[in-house]
Amino acid sequence: MNNLEIRLIQPEESPAANDFYNGIYGKKRSLEQWQWEFAENTYDTDQILYAIVKDGSRIVGTQAFIPIQMIDPNGIFWTAKSEETLVDPNYRGQKLFDKMYSLLFEEAEKRGFAYVWGFTPAEKAFKKLGFEMPGKTSQMLFPMQYRALDKLMAKDREAERDVPKSMLKHLSYKLAFRISIPLSGLKLSMKASRKNDIEIRTIDSPPQAADDLCRRFIKKYGGVTIYRDGEYLKWRIFDNPYVKANMVGAFHDNTLLGWAAFSLGDDGVGYLVDILTASDLGNDPEIVQRLLIEAVIRTRDMGALALRGWSVNNHPFDKLVLNAARKIGFWHFDKGHTVVLYETKAGKSGVHRHTFDDFQITRIYTEGIMG
Amino acid sequence: MNGEYLLQQIENHVRLFFTDAALSLIKAADIRFAHYADAIDIKEYCLIIPIDIDSGIAPQNIYKVPFNDTQLTLWSPLPRPDRPGWRAIPNDNHPLWYINDCQTIIPATNIFKIAWDLLTFREDSELPWRDKHGRFNSPFSPRLDFGLLEIPVFNEAVALMLAACKCLSGAAIPDDNIGGLIAAPVVNLSHDCDVLYGNDFWTQAARFARIFIPSSHGLLSRLSNIRWMAGNTLHPGRYYFNNVIGMINLEKQYGFKSTFYMLNGSGGRYGSRNGLDAIIKIKDFIPDGWETGLHYNYNTYNKSDKLKAQKGELQTALGRLITSGRAHYLRFDHTTSFDRWTQAGIKIDESVGYSKHIGYRCGLAGCFQPYDNKAGKAYDIFEAPLAIMDTTLVDQYGDDSIRHFESMLKHLSCIGGAMNLVFHPGTFFNPEMPRMLGIYHKILMTCRDTKSRCLTADDMLKILTKRG
Repeated sequence: MNNLEIRLIQPEESPAANDFYNGIYGKKRSLEQWQWEFAENTYDTDQILYAIVKDGSRIVGTQAFIPIQMIDPNGIFWTAKSEETLVDPNYRGQKLFDKMYSLLFEEAEKRGFAYVWGFTPAEKAFKKLGFEMPGKTSQMLFPMQYRALDKLMAKDREAERDVPKSMLKHLSYKLAFRISIPLSGLKLSMKASRKNDIEIRTIDSPPQAADDLCRRFIKKYGGVTIYRDGEYLKWRIFDNPYVKANMVGAFHDNTLLGWAAFSLGDDGVGYLVDILTASDLGNDPEIVQRLLIEAVIRTRDMGALALRGWSVNNHPFDKLVLNAARKIGFWHFDKGHTVVLYETKAGKSGVHRHTFDDFQITRIYTEGIMG
Repeated sequence: MNGEYLLQQIENHVRLFFTDAALSLIKAADIRFAHYADAIDIKEYCLIIPIDIDSGIAPQNIYKVPFNDTQLTLWSPLPRPDRPGWRAIPNDNHPLWYINDCQTIIPATNIFKIAWDLLTFREDSELPWRDKHGRFNSPFSPRLDFGLLEIPVFNEAVALMLAACKCLSGAAIPDDNIGGLIAAPVVNLSHDCDVLYGNDFWTQAARFARIFIPSSHGLLSRLSNIRWMAGNTLHPGRYYFNNVIGMINLEKQYGFKSTFYMLNGSGGRYGSRNGLDAIIKIKDFIPDGWETGLHYNYNTYNKSDKLKAQKGELQTALGRLITSGRAHYLRFDHTTSFDRWTQAGIKIDESVGYSKHIGYRCGLAGCFQPYDNKAGKAYDIFEAPLAIMDTTLVDQYGDDSIRHFESMLKHLSCIGGAMNLVFHPGTFFNPEMPRMLGIYHKILMTCRDTKSRCLTADDMLKILTKRG
């Protein structure tokens, strides 16, 4: 155990790293899925930012940074998403986590990444590394089938979140959930029947106007968000080897005004992967509502138990989406993962400095395998 | 047994489900069809398929042999050649091959004759039983009692043949590894659009009757049917028409696509229930890449003129030529149907399956040209036999359905082939059938996880008719 080697991964070591992950979690992630997640992102480099700890020929620890471009009023810049934090239980207590991070922070500084960010239930470990915990994700939920409740509670248990322990509380949850389904259905049908001149079209390949929409969005709402150009959408959505989210666009006179991406997860729950609008016609709330209705109807017809989306902070667009979602039958819960944010030295000395509420965040922030 | 025909079907199968290297191996190999008595005296570098031994239609002496990370199920062994120099591979107890000192190879079982019998519908020909719809159904097959309906005999025979061809191309003995020669398994998804609106007379009448049927047997009335009747009265497309859109969006998530077989023509209990308007409306929701085909109406069985009229009507409605189809209720007669379908302009059919059990009716997971006994050659039509029907799978295997489906698909990934399956829009997502909820989603996830390729019947047809 004394000759532990900590370094960046070599391409030929990816099968071993993937096997390590599958072994620890009991999953069946394929090498193709590993490649997609860590090696095929839009950052132009030969070196995958994936740290490993090796004991002899065995991988006993992993930590990855996935380079992600963001956009703010000062332009486009690079950040990194923290992913694949994993140490063999037999090697815990040796600060391997810190050492892998130290290596990756160095790489991030070298490349001028402004932020490293992620979502985690393990707050303590990240705090020690200098991450801030500026907020939490919360859930917007549109209930569709009663069976959804069991799935959602199972997920909460898995994520070690608070679940009702007493029988009475459990029953009250069930009752509330049962009542919420027809209520949400009613709200949806009232809003869905309203006509307007926004045209909704299925998007089957990355829209050329994606980059323009992102720029317009930042110009309109300010703050910072992921720069979703065609290349990014191709990588995260259309080439996704797990689930290629369905994408719909809102158009007026053939101009792309906004989009929503949604998918049915392996657990049978629908996920709102992304939503973004920037209309010059002053009708963003209406467009957001139409896109959300489309996402609900389409995921419901796919057999979804419920549709979940994120609401995270006080970014004006986040608030707009939450408001529109509530009007069509979504419910809002304060349950989610902690956001962790680390500002690098490069970030601190640059022009892309932001508070947490500046970030417009959806599941397109590479959370899980959905987008 | 027509060796030339069989070899052509084998080549087609290899073209679809194996690599180019495998096709070259088959083409380069010296493969002969001969009488068993002659075969055992041959001393040349070749593979010989005995054509004259009749093992009957009831399987005998079944045994399993490990092969390429799966197990082959063999039956009706051939006698070990009683000439000097012949030995059994891999062993005498469970042989795959007999091979002599000159590298002459003979299969150790009558597998190719069994495959031929299944491709040419020997069970249908020799056994008289038919169900009330005139079908030779799974309970009549002798293979059912031995649990052999789910054995793709033809696919296993081709996999064995490739192992032998590999040996003929240089290896010392045929081994059980053909890993590098197999392409990813194929899944061929299709949907029979029997009902597109749940408010038609027959669907509602059946629901109404089922409210009272249980009480006539001393059971509780099925009052929940009132809910479904009311629901579909208010929202006719819910759980039917809307499910077509839902299925497409779900398939899209995994990069898959499918064929929708449309039922038009005469109405009635077994006939078309929604008329042409529903089809005209739904066609706008079926994107490019997805196929539409003809679901031959119940009353077109053995009636060419009615089939042609139905096809003409559908083509006019869709504004395109239809080349693929499946019979409603899987009604099919091996002596007449292929002729009638061919005459109607169908190029590939997916009717040949069982409604009572899942499995490979022709012992084949893939696509082949049926054999015209009268003409002594292949029909000018391809058949992709249906292996799995949605409710049949769940009726048969219950909670174990997906695990079972996965094991069948994994077997195909080791021997090459296609899983042809049908899932009706009305069973995809319909709370009226709670046991079916989520099944199609799990099937698609299994296809993704087994890295299956998705080819529709029309895709297979295109590959097979685009000859180099």
